[in-house]
Amino acid sequence: MSKEPVLTKKDCVKGAIRWSLMAVTTFNYDTQLAPAVVFGIGPLLRKIYPDDDDYVEALNNHFKYFNTHPWAANLVFGATLALEDKEGISACDAVQNIKVSLMGPLAGIGDTLIWTLLPTIMGSIAGYMALEGNPVGVFLWLLTNLIFIGIRTQLMWIGYKEGTKLITKFGNRIAQITDAASVLGLTVVGALAATVVTAKTPLVFQMGEISMPLGDLLDKILPSMISVLAVWALYKLIGRKGMKVTTIILIVIVFSMICSALGILA
Amino acid sequence: MTLSALQIILLILVAAEINLDRRGLSLTHARPAIVGFLCGLILGDMNSGLYIGGTFTLMSLGVAALGGSSVPDYGVATIIACAFAKTTGQGPEVGMTIGLPVGMLGVQMDVLYKICNSFIAQKAQKYANERQFNKMYRILYLCPVMVAVFMSLPTAIALTAGAPLVQAILDVLPAWVTGGLSLAGKLLPGLGIAMLLHYMPAKKYFNYILIGFVLSAYLNMPVLGIALLGLALAYKFYMDNEARANVGFAGGLEDE
Repeated sequence: MSKEPVLTKKDCVKGAIRWSLMAVTTFNYDTQLAPAVVFGIGPLLRKIYPDDDDYVEALNNHFKYFNTHPWAANLVFGATLALEDKEGISACDAVQNIKVSLMGPLAGIGDTLIWTLLPTIMGSIAGYMALEGNPVGVFLWLLTNLIFIGIRTQLMWIGYKEGTKLITKFGNRIAQITDAASVLGLTVVGALAATVVTAKTPLVFQMGEISMPLGDLLDKILPSMISVLAVWALYKLIGRKGMKVTTIILIVIVFSMICSALGILA
Repeated sequence: MTLSALQIILLILVAAEINLDRRGLSLTHARPAIVGFLCGLILGDMNSGLYIGGTFTLMSLGVAALGGSSVPDYGVATIIACAFAKTTGQGPEVGMTIGLPVGMLGVQMDVLYKICNSFIAQKAQKYANERQFNKMYRILYLCPVMVAVFMSLPTAIALTAGAPLVQAILDVLPAWVTGGLSLAGKLLPGLGIAMLLHYMPAKKYFNYILIGFVLSAYLNMPVLGIALLGLALAYKFYMDNEARANVGFAGGLEDE
């Protein structure tokens, strides 16, 4: 179900700016950055889907959980927009799977390079110079950030162009690619389930002379047990009939306060 | 020495700006050295501003908020430290010991605004389904407003009522409230992953979740390595499907 693509470079730059300004400010515990995705690329989706029904379906698709490095995210949106622009609303599942399978790796690269390495380099320069009362390091840091802002406005368009090339190549195999992408996505989700919850137990297991931190004991049975149990319990809660996400968040807060008071988790 | 009303307003605006910037634009990114420079301009004491900013920058290196976790707000700590270094007249060191607890309150504020955002996001999606698209876009502007209000609140309280009040609030709050909110901040990111499992064919392809989990939990493999392996699995899966489709097609022809 191919259609004529409508998005231009101008649209993509606009989308990148809208997304970049909103980004993590919309962070919420059920869909994380999804509202910013809708805010950022919503106008572009409107251009792709003049029909209200399709537009609503596309919006709902992008209201699903999404979180990755906010700078690199532009590439993902560019690529999925290229797909939607070419294939229309039938590409929704493929879009969702591509977003999920790319967000883990891009977060990994972005968190290492951009959130850790860049501040370490620029921070130690600016920090040591500042201690001597010299603001030049601060100016350098601002300048670096300014350059990156410029680059970020272009990333969505780069993703769009590269995405278009890939789609022309694999265009008639969308269904198979969607399935394969969900394999990749679920592998990454499995990895995230082990690391996403960082709570630890401070309890110490006492038996006569021997004392052992309960956390170590749990890790011997199953590493990342607390994280997996938390994800599993939340998964089950979401599956319950009539259970709202808001209710689950409140349950978690009350549960956290009880566990914190009893010293079970921290 | 006291601060003028204009200085207090500017400092509160800086607290709001750096917290918005850190989550979006990323120009100042709440980096203490940059914040210290701004405070130096506002307070007319560049040396203290840079010294405090530099110290907090070096302290905060390697402390990045990754994957939705909450970390002390070093930017706000810098603002408060600069302000109280000036008002107490006792220099940067005293300022910093007052600033850091106020920055710590940022962890709780971070969890609170993220909880408020859940309601905003749900409302926005409801508007989308009712086809009130303008309303959908408009309500999303509340998210940055929440960030600005919540994250500048500790600064506003400390600057208007004095940092001792913030310390007193921290002392009065029972440990189960502060500890509970921090713990909720650690548990709740799991909710997103749980939602994801509901959208995706998790039951059908349970085996791949298991593979990703084992690599991460037992082998501590970084997510990029796991994704590459996932790519290999996806490629194999795709090729197998392709082969099966071709066989099916050929078989169909023979039946004719």
